[in-house]
Amino acid sequence: MPANRRELFAAVMAVAAARRMKAQDGPVTIPGKRPLIVHNDRPEDLETPLKYFDTWVTPNDAFFVRQHIPRPAAIDPAAHRVQVNGMVSKPSQLSLADLEKLPQHTVPATLECTGNGRAFYSPKVPGIQWGRGAVGNAEWTGPRLGDVLKLAGVDASARHVEIDGADTGIAQTPDFLRSMPIEKAMHPATLLALKMNDESPQIHGFPVRLIVPGWDGTSWVKWITRLTARAEMSGGFFMNPGYRYPKYARPPGSAAVPAELEVIEGMPVKSTLTAPEDGSKAALAPLVIRGFAWAGENAIERVDVSTDGGARWQPAQLSPQKLPFAWRLFTLNWTPQAPGYYTLLSRATDTAGRVQPIVPAWNPSGYLWNGIDRVGVTVEKA
Amino acid sequence: MMRLLLALTIAAAAWGADEATLEKGRKEEQRACLPCHSLRLIHSQRLSRAAWGRELDKMAGWGTKITERDALLEYLVASYGDDKPVTPPVVSGDGRKTK
Repeated sequence: MPANRRELFAAVMAVAAARRMKAQDGPVTIPGKRPLIVHNDRPEDLETPLKYFDTWVTPNDAFFVRQHIPRPAAIDPAAHRVQVNGMVSKPSQLSLADLEKLPQHTVPATLECTGNGRAFYSPKVPGIQWGRGAVGNAEWTGPRLGDVLKLAGVDASARHVEIDGADTGIAQTPDFLRSMPIEKAMHPATLLALKMNDESPQIHGFPVRLIVPGWDGTSWVKWITRLTARAEMSGGFFMNPGYRYPKYARPPGSAAVPAELEVIEGMPVKSTLTAPEDGSKAALAPLVIRGFAWAGENAIERVDVSTDGGARWQPAQLSPQKLPFAWRLFTLNWTPQAPGYYTLLSRATDTAGRVQPIVPAWNPSGYLWNGIDRVGVTVEKA
Repeated sequence: MMRLLLALTIAAAAWGADEATLEKGRKEEQRACLPCHSLRLIHSQRLSRAAWGRELDKMAGWGTKITERDALLEYLVASYGDDKPVTPPVVSGDGRKTK
């Protein structure tokens, strides 16, 4: 293309791009939320910036959001019902008042999007390009799912529970339907949460959200309208092929082998460095390396940190609560001895002896990234 | 003349698709994709031609009527191909006062 034509084209494209930015990708504000990283705004896919991760409980207004399909229209809490049916002797319609009358339990649990860290996979895979912040830790309160199922007289031969929410797909986009084995449904920590950190869950699934501690975020269905006891696992895109992981790893870039995909359940062991931030500068003075670590259904046993690219490792200090399902914060006091660029690494080990890998297995949907975390910091003379 | 033609052919190949096709693809993206989701979902990804093709097939399977598939694919590859630099996502405004 001749230079003048190319310039003209570039100018036209720039104008078009500017118009498009204004029309579609312009500034966005999410009601009730602090400034978050916007991967998508319709529906909302919002990532928590690392600077908000300095507390054990992630505040609701900083908590990440993942929507597959648009939020349901405003739900009237007085009219909302949760239908319990299928292999039960007493099919029922529970109001929020009914759920509030059942014994209430609080479970601290880390919720992580199945695709958190997808952006780190190479070659790149389709999906939201989450970095480190599609994760958060909250205290969830509500009745046990097991109590609700027992009240409805769940059949002893039921093997799975299907969960539907009030959201529905657009066009022929599949409805967001999930199921889980009855053992996990009856687990005492599996809740129908009415509260998130003592507040209404709002964008996180108001008025009723399923809490499946230790399992991937996709299992935690929002705005619940129906629970169905069944003999079989549910079908539908979000159970198959969605949210499945290869039983046997294949070379990076390979297509999935459908028969070898398994439903993702418990999450792996993982740690994330929150400070200093990758690419930042620090003065030649003592500083604190911070982060958090979690391990699906297990608790965190230890976190080791390296400040020299992994040649030597030191155990980090861990926050006291050593619980299954919930993360632990870690810190390491570090006094760099010389200016220069440092590669900091963190590596978590859980109570079952699982350790973070250096290289997580590439998979075609980019799920379950849990590589040893790595940030670079430039230390400068004060 | 032949050398000029050859040079132009190479330039066109290096450029990828011609601007009319890209513009057609851009319009098709707005028409076909916007009814269901914002374009950030697309623009935040960097995929190979084959991977963009599979995404279009998936969306067509979910009811999207794509009438200019070739142009849309050219536009996606030219703008959001896996050889293109990643642009950092935007940060939302403070919504705490608009609860």
